[in-house]
Amino acid sequence: MDNDYFSIDAILAENQKIQCTFKVDIPDMGHLAGGSDRDIKSLTKAPIPIWLAYIMLFSDWADFTIPSPFGTRVRNALKAEPRSVKLSNLVGAGGLWYGFGKLVMDILSEDQANGISEVLTKAFKGRLLEVIDQAQHFAALGPAGGGGPSTDSAQSFREGLDGTERELFALAQESAKRMKRWHEGNDKARR
Amino acid sequence: MALPQSLRTSVTPLELELIASEHLIEIVPLITMEKTAFISGAYGPLRPPAKCRIPLWMATNLKLKKKCHIVPPEWLSVDFLQEQLTRETSRPEFSRLPFRFAEIAKVILDVASDDVQNADKIKSLLKDLREARQAKSRDGLQKLDHSELSLPNLCSMEINEIRPFFIQSMGILTQLVREPSAE
Repeated sequence: MDNDYFSIDAILAENQKIQCTFKVDIPDMGHLAGGSDRDIKSLTKAPIPIWLAYIMLFSDWADFTIPSPFGTRVRNALKAEPRSVKLSNLVGAGGLWYGFGKLVMDILSEDQANGISEVLTKAFKGRLLEVIDQAQHFAALGPAGGGGPSTDSAQSFREGLDGTERELFALAQESAKRMKRWHEGNDKARR
Repeated sequence: MALPQSLRTSVTPLELELIASEHLIEIVPLITMEKTAFISGAYGPLRPPAKCRIPLWMATNLKLKKKCHIVPPEWLSVDFLQEQLTRETSRPEFSRLPFRFAEIAKVILDVASDDVQNADKIKSLLKDLREARQAKSRDGLQKLDHSELSLPNLCSMEINEIRPFFIQSMGILTQLVREPSAE
């Protein structure tokens, strides 16, 4: 998830669409808006992916609003209880909410970018502890277990994890599993 | 030579055990041996029943062949560990422990539990100590910052356990936080 040209995470995150309002007429590009028009007239709204939107905003051909995954409703939900928001619902399964937010932040002006950065960091920190706890809990169970003892809220939290959080979950679970295996192993034979 | 993905994130516990096995411990030998040169140094001579300091790997080897008795280090005793446990549970900081205590304790308890007094009690004390310190590192996670995090007196095994996801989380935080200040 860098600005690295080759980063796969950045490419995936950039695939998200945002709503843009075109300011100028663009002939022959109607298929971008998904409609049957031949041209795009100014003041038409169309969803376009961020990698395209970036250039359009820079060249001042379009305006855009803060997309819904970072709208007021989501922000208030995160402020109330970061762990109860399902981030994967906001950006589609396997989506990268944090990556998307970072890209939006880059395009925006200073104050709005600060606001979004606050939302992102607070959400991340709030959810991180829960991610780690669940990861260590799941390291304790064998590969077959994992369905029974978890309560409903724990399971729905796991389903709502964003892509970056899933990586962290896997890392933490892996190291916890290794430690457990080492502590309980007693290979006198090996020595 | 490329490492498989699972090994890239951190050192394995077995590797840490190998590194810790270089540590010198005292033994009571049951055989005689002249001063012998090994790659890491010359050890011996072994003259029973005098005690001698040799590396842990050599001590485990001799012990498994029943050629010595291991003398547990002073910190591997019920009194010391109990005191450390009370200190650990009463203060918010980590207490000072030998850096590789987890690995050395495990090796000694595995091969020479008969040489250690109250081996079971020591095992349970070590477990409690480990859990208390783990709880503290969880709290440290709350204070995670993008620029630095200081957890003094963490021991080698614990550092290795938390390293992968701590570093990744700090990386993510760096990207989320730094952006506006770079404007």
